[in-house]
Amino acid sequence: MRRRRLLACAAAGAATSGCAVLGPPPQTAALIAAPPAGLPPRVDLDAVPFFPQTPFHCGPAALASVLVHQGYAVTPESLADQVFLPSREGSLQVEMLSATRRAGAVPVRLPGELSALLREAADAMPAVVLLNLGLSFVPAWHYAVVVGFDLPAREVLLRSGTTRRMTMSMTTFEHTWHRAGSWAVAAVRPGRLPLTARESDAADAAAGFERARAQPEVRGQVHGSVLRRWPDNLVALVGRGTARAAQGDWPGAAADFDHAAQRHDSAAAWHNLALAQWQLGRTDDARRSARRAQERAEAADPQWREAARKLVEQLK
Amino acid sequence: MSSRIRRLVAVTVAMSLNFAGMVHAAPAGIAPAAQLIGAEQVADAAAGRALLERTLDRADVAAALQARGVSVDAARERVASLTDAEAAHVAAQIDAAPAGASDVLGTIVFIFVLLLLTDILGFTKIFPFTRSIR
Repeated sequence: MRRRRLLACAAAGAATSGCAVLGPPPQTAALIAAPPAGLPPRVDLDAVPFFPQTPFHCGPAALASVLVHQGYAVTPESLADQVFLPSREGSLQVEMLSATRRAGAVPVRLPGELSALLREAADAMPAVVLLNLGLSFVPAWHYAVVVGFDLPAREVLLRSGTTRRMTMSMTTFEHTWHRAGSWAVAAVRPGRLPLTARESDAADAAAGFERARAQPEVRGQVHGSVLRRWPDNLVALVGRGTARAAQGDWPGAAADFDHAAQRHDSAAAWHNLALAQWQLGRTDDARRSARRAQERAEAADPQWREAARKLVEQLK
Repeated sequence: MSSRIRRLVAVTVAMSLNFAGMVHAAPAGIAPAAQLIGAEQVADAAAGRALLERTLDRADVAAALQARGVSVDAARERVASLTDAEAAHVAAQIDAAPAGASDVLGTIVFIFVLLLLTDILGFTKIFPFTRSIR
């Protein structure tokens, strides 16, 4: 990872020739052939701030850009310490996510599709993207922020490096983005979600946020935002339930665990439901739920086997 | 003291005694709040499935599967039917593919083809949970 970090901020614009003769890559071609309905031809999020990068600091610069846009008081310098802390085997992308969480925002991975980035821009949501400006075997990693596009001109608009308003051809963008694993992240305030976020990515974001932040009110808010869009999501139901329990709202917690248990028959949900029922004095229900947790753990979720067995013992 | 207030006091006392009784009924060592399984643990358990789903979202994977006559929808259905533990097992195979290698795509497709076709048809037995239809 050290090598990757040193290479992380290649001069934007280098190594971008040589693709033109091959014609547009699949996503660009699809966008040209059939632009998504409802997408305006041009978007330019001029209000997204720009921080010119200092050498090797494209990550903090890109991150500061989206965080300040969301109203968080950060600077590339304040983020640089966090993003460049020597980490064991953690990749730089992971550090970008955790720095976002420490600022108080929720990082949400976006689908690896060009159309998703354009729809986010049209929804006034800038996205941090990782580009590989080199070739797959000579990587030159670079972070930039997508702040708009021009469909007729086939261009993507970026805050990148030392250029406030960089236009990059969609073809080049797609190639360099694809070579970096099509990695794109939006930062939102707790309680909000990006328009194009997928259910699993939203739930992942909520769970990751939980790891970083202790206040149950905020955790509940983030899980609540997932449940507004996907009312049956297991991770968010368990998350909001535990947040409610941490605030002393055991009836609310029991309702969330019950919903999760009925809908997914998940051992973890039954386990938590048993605890909530026990707390509420519903001892018979609690024993029944604990037994169900054990059955489900045996059948499908071996990682909860021990916890479920122990709970059945305790509730006897 | 009016009888009404007296009754209220009696009910309150009875209820607190009841509550005290309930607390005493709890065996030592049970702490519901502390024993709850957190969302992040549940998410970790589901991470394997998420990786498989995301892999199937990739245009190049979809194209490569299609080229081998495997529909992405069938692959998606298959992934949906796996338990968390099974999905984690398959995801681990994909994760083990050398990250920078030129043929990661080939590895991924190979795994899905194994999962979807040959294991289920009974030609191979790589994944312990696939049930042969033979």
